This record gives sequence, structure tokens and C-alpha cells, in this order.
Amino acid sequence: MGSLALQGVRVLDFTWVVAGPVATRILADNGAEVVKIERKVPPPLGDRKRGLQCDLHRNKLSLALNMGHPRGLEIALDLVRKSDIVIDNFSARVMRQWGMDYESLRRVKPDIICISMSGFGHTGPRSNFVSYGPTLQALTGYTRLMTDIDGEPAGYGYSYSDMAGGFTGALAALVALWNRRRTGRGQFVDLSQLEAVAALIGPCLLDLTVNGRVPEPPLYNSQEAPAAPHGVYRCRALDGDDDRWVAIAVRSQGEWNRFVEAIGSPAWAAEPKFRTLYLRMRNRTELDANIARWTLQRSAEEAMAALQKARVAAGVVSNGADLCERDPQLKARGFWPTVARADGSLTRVSGVPFKLSGGSGSVRTIAPEVGENNDYILGELLGMSPAERAELVAAGVVWP
Amino acid sequence: MSEGAGALAGLRVLDLSTYRGHLAGRLLADMGADVVKVEPPAGDMARRIGPFVDDRPHHDRSLFFWFYNLNKRSLTLDITNPRGRELLLDLARATDVLVESFAPGEMARMGLGWDELHRLNPALVMLSIAPFGQTGPYRDFEADDTVLTALSGMLYVNGYPGRQPVRPLGLQAYHSAAYYGAIAVMCALLARDREPVGQWIDLSMQEAAAAAVEHVAGSYFGQNFVEPRRGTLHWSRFFRVARCRDGYVMHCTLGDWTSLIEWVKSEGKAQDLADPRWEDVGYRAEHAEHLFDVLDEWVKDYECNELLERAQALRQPYAIVQGPEAMLKDEQLNARGFFVEVEHPELGRTFRYPGAPYLFNGTPWRVRRRPPLLGEHTSEILRDELGLEPAEIAALYAQGIV
Repeated sequence: MGSLALQGVRVLDFTWVVAGPVATRILADNGAEVVKIERKVPPPLGDRKRGLQCDLHRNKLSLALNMGHPRGLEIALDLVRKSDIVIDNFSARVMRQWGMDYESLRRVKPDIICISMSGFGHTGPRSNFVSYGPTLQALTGYTRLMTDIDGEPAGYGYSYSDMAGGFTGALAALVALWNRRRTGRGQFVDLSQLEAVAALIGPCLLDLTVNGRVPEPPLYNSQEAPAAPHGVYRCRALDGDDDRWVAIAVRSQGEWNRFVEAIGSPAWAAEPKFRTLYLRMRNRTELDANIARWTLQRSAEEAMAALQKARVAAGVVSNGADLCERDPQLKARGFWPTVARADGSLTRVSGVPFKLSGGSGSVRTIAPEVGENNDYILGELLGMSPAERAELVAAGVVWP
Repeated sequence: MSEGAGALAGLRVLDLSTYRGHLAGRLLADMGADVVKVEPPAGDMARRIGPFVDDRPHHDRSLFFWFYNLNKRSLTLDITNPRGRELLLDLARATDVLVESFAPGEMARMGLGWDELHRLNPALVMLSIAPFGQTGPYRDFEADDTVLTALSGMLYVNGYPGRQPVRPLGLQAYHSAAYYGAIAVMCALLARDREPVGQWIDLSMQEAAAAAVEHVAGSYFGQNFVEPRRGTLHWSRFFRVARCRDGYVMHCTLGDWTSLIEWVKSEGKAQDLADPRWEDVGYRAEHAEHLFDVLDEWVKDYECNELLERAQALRQPYAIVQGPEAMLKDEQLNARGFFVEVEHPELGRTFRYPGAPYLFNGTPWRVRRRPPLLGEHTSEILRDELGLEPAEIAALYAQGIV
């Protein structure tokens, strides 16, 4: 008990930016030893000891290795021999150019698992194209269909596809590992981030292919069981901030009855045009305007509490401060763990979204600077003496 | 294990979850696990959610159900009935994973709680998916996907400043939770290789959705900054949507700047962007609003396709902002066989499904069976897995237990 699920699993991590690091973060949180292979001058993505970069790389180890040097490649192959999984998120050609593609690596370690999380996959006419989250979201329909009420595309304010690519990559690695433990065979997983995020759109894709119905912006129409009211409603300002909203979803007639009671049984709610779900959906513009009059008089937190007390689905549209400081549920479950820097100061990061009764994933070490773990990786894992290590530094194979 | 079997061949899963968790089981089924969907005799409520084939509502025509239950088998079983509960326990004895998404505490009330199941089958892995997890002050709160996107931070940062936040396309709080659920199951199964003991997984959908937001917590903890809505400007400040003559495109200022600006300059639209200081990627981010305003002016008379062809020739990572229907004709997706044909013999038709999120070279993602008809595998499971006699099975049907 108390041990981490992936103890004893070693991952050689060539990933960068976001999607790949999310995948290896999930593995690291759950106990895998993740060894990042990095260039000395990392892309200028920000401070590793706080914020997003700390979030992405915590629990990992870093080796600053010159992959452009023949001896650097040899060291990488030595690490492959000691690893279970190799992950990259380059476009298809990069690993091949280094001689680090699956066919080459399986000659070095026959049961290696390679996960390549490229933008478009390793085959097809666009296999060598560079992609980014926002471009993939544009190509798959998210940006076009996530519209403002006036129909203008808005899309995500961030790269959901990087996060989706990340958890898809982590699942692929674990499935391949389970299979290897039973068959003794490794394999190559060709993960296209385009396909990973396309597969997540949901049933409206089948409505398109089966019924020929072109998907429309969902706005706040329920995408699951029909519901009305269903949407976000502006609330009273909090400390001068009027960008405050509560999300409300009322599905069954029972919920509607409890909802009406919770908002004080106003006269409008008894009007025949709101009597059934069908009528509420048909008259939703007027329904929403009536509800907004109620929500505007209270804070988002008060509205949520009043509705949840009546067992009606409702929640604050949380901003960063709501999430990280105020949300009592995330706090109670310890979702924002603290991790220490070398100087003893503390910072907080995102937690692990599931708990295992025999030992949950956790945040144990802060993200390493590039090359921070050179000595451990070369010395402990590869058994090199201090003199050999110094020689590699002098030859420009490893950056101190 | 035969060649061509899925990566998870031999893994047995009982899926008691409904719309909140059903994608988790499908992810395992797609990779070869035998996933038995345990439905109440009247059918999983997901079967009543549309859209439906030809818009004709029926429990075997729900596309909502189909999407999330491909590759599963269906067993109808009234687990609130004592005999039904016994049968479920018999199945749980011989299963590796049980997935459920009842309200916290409900499984225990039915006599199917973790303690009970763990005693019965110590190696069982149980995944409990709940909106807020099994503990904490919100444990018993109600939520749908939209409420979860709100409480996880998925919602607030999409859309235009001062206007209503824009919700994700698709049920992305549920989807994130399902992926993290499947990941958690695999972690617990791999831990079982070391010590043959199962674990109970407490998955909070709120946390899973929060773990699917890129930047909000990082900016808060790193810079003490509350991320706002910025219209279509990506938080990294390298992407923004522009309007062309016949639609929209996504700008990207992370490609080769020299070739982009040469192109814009050649059309006399560069304004001050030809200045060398724009070569610095940090400067471009810092002054993104002005940069994109100039580029918007440049593209506004283009047609999307014309712009994209030229952008691709220069390897500029631009993209058309298009509806999902464009994917049906996407040459990259089609070259890789993303859409797969699935035969539905009961309807005498074949339908195109969106396919694999990853290609395994040794043990491919594969459609082994179309989504199950209601109770399609009840008899075979009772007979083959529980060893019941035909008369016993007939009695269970007569009593409405299956």
C-alpha cells in the first residue's frame, strides 16, 4: 500500500511545448521515472519553478544532451535500452533523422514501446506539417462552432487539443505497456493529435455521417438530455468585477419545480408558456431573461448555493481565482498541491484528478531546470564515472 | 493471444456507467477489452437521448448511445432486485474492472459498494466516476456537463470580453473525465502486476476537466494573473481568427516570419510589419493586437482556399476555420482511414463512424462489434459466463430481472 502505480516504469521523453509534456506528466505523477532529453537552450517558454512550466514538468528528470553529436545519440540509445517507453511529439521526420524512429530503436531494444504524438500522424500527405493546438481546433470544427450568441466564431481561449492529445498519449502508453507485459512485445503508436481531438467532438459527428445533418453551433442548447433553463446567467458583481456568471441546467419536471421554489416562486414561472420542458425550450429567450433578473440580484456563489440546496445543477463559472483560491471542493480534496523549490520556498501546481485507494499519484518534485539531473542520469542510470561525465561536458556532448 | 487481437484482449470489464462515464468503457473496448454494458431492463438512459437514426426515436437508434458504446456488449439486469444483484456479484467475481457513475454512496446502498466487491474479488479494479468525486462538500451536488465546464475553468476563458462565456463543442468535461478514468484503470491494472490486489478509483469529473485546461492555474500560481476572455486571440498571443471574403482563417505567427512578411509585403499590405523588430517572436506576442489587425486587413479580400494554398506552399501553419463536416473530405484524415464503415445488419445499412485517436502497429484499434442492441447479449452472458440453464434464463426474463 502507498506505492505508486507506475513504479519501476521508465519513460524517455523527447516531448516539448504542451501536448507531449501533458502525456508524460500523467505518467510521472503516477510514479513512472520520466527522463526528459533537452537542448541546453530550451525554447523560451518560461520559468520552470512556477506556473505552467512547473505544472507540465514536475516530477520529471532532465538531461541536457546534444542530439546533434554522435556520442549524444549513443547515450540516447543507451537510455533507450534502459527504458520501457519512448515518447516524442515532433512531426514525423525528426526522430527518423536522428535514427531514433521505432524501427531503429527496436533493434536496440526489441520490446520498446514508441509513442509518437505528431500533429497529423506519420502517414498521409500532411505527415510532415507543423501544427499547433489552435490550428487543429480550427480544422476540426471547434473554433467555427463555438460561437458567440451573434454567430461569430470564438473557439477555445486555449489549446484544448494539446490537453486532449496529452491524455490520449498517456492512455496509449499504458495500454501498450499492459499488452507488452502479457505478450512480451512492444509496438509503435502513431498518434495524430488531429485525430485525437476530432474523435472527441462526439455524437454530432454521427448525426452528420448517418443523417447528413451539418452540425450547428450548440450555443447553450443541451448536448445531452434536453434541458431548459440551460445556460449561463450573469450575476451580481464581486468586488467590482461584473464578469460573474452561474451555469444552470434544469432537466426533469421535478427539477423545474424545485428550481421555481428555490427562486421564490415568481409569478412568471407559473405562466402556461413555461409549464413543460418542451414549452420552456420553445420560449427560452424569455425564460432566460426572467432567470437573469433573479441571478443579477445575487452573487454567483449565492445563486449556486440556493439552487444546489434544491438539488438543481448549478455552478459558478469559475475564473482562475475561483478555481485556485475559492472553490471549497477542490480545496477539500487537495487538488492544488504544494511543491518545494531548492531554496525551501513553495509553489502550487495542478493536482492529479483521480485517487487510487492503494496509492494515488502525487506531486513530489518541482520541475527540473534543463540538465538538472545530468549526474543522476549519466552516473546512476548509465554508470558513468565523474571523469567520464566531465569528458562529455568538455566534448560538448552534455551541457552542464 | 492471437495476432490481431486488441492490446487489451483478455481484459474483462463490467460497465455500469451511464452518460457520465460511458466513454471510459468504450476506450477500453476499442482496444480489445470485453466490455459488458450492464443496463436496467428498460435500457440505459443514454438510449433515450438523440439524435436518432433518420430522426426516429428508438432505444436501438440513438446515435448518442452508439457513439459511446461501440464495441461493447449489452446485458440487461435489474441490479435493484436481490436476484439481479446476486447475478451481478457473480459476474464481478470473474471480472477485472467495474466502471460505475452512480451518485456517491449509491453503490453501497445497493449492497455493491467497494468493501463488498473487494471482499468478493480482491483483484477487482473499480472506477467510480462522479461529478465531484466521492468526498468533499460538493459530493452530493448536481451537475451536467455544462455545469462541470463552469466549475472546472473550461468555460470562463472562451469568448469575448464582457460577453457571455462560450461553452465547448461536445461534452468535454465528460470526455476528459472518461479519458482520465481509463488512464486510472490502466494504472491500477499495471499496479496489479506487482501485487495482485485491485484498487478503488475515486475520479472527480470537476478535477478531470480542470486538468484539461491548459493555462488558467499556471497563470494564477505563476504570475498571480486571472486569465480573461480575449475573443479569438489565443492566450499565447500567436493565434487569432481573421475574416476572409468567404469565411474565416486562423492566423499563426509562429511559422517562418521572413517568408510570411515577404508575402504580405509583396502585396503592399505589410504596413510597419517589415520593421526588423517584428522578427523577434516575443515582440510579436507582446504586440499581437496590432500585428493581427494589420494581418486582418491583408487577408480580408482573400478567399479562404486561395489564402490557404499559398500559406501551405510557404509552410505557414495557417488553417481554415471550418465546420466538422469539412473533415469528411479532408485528404489527411481519409489517407489514414480515420472514418470507418460499421455494418448494422439489423438495419441493413452501413454507417461511417469517426475512428481511432491512435494507430497501434501491433494491436490495432478496431471495430469488433457495432453498438449493442438493448439486451442483445443477455442470454449468451447468462448461459456462457454464469452457466445458467435455459429454464432459469427464461424465468429471469419472465420476472423482468433481465
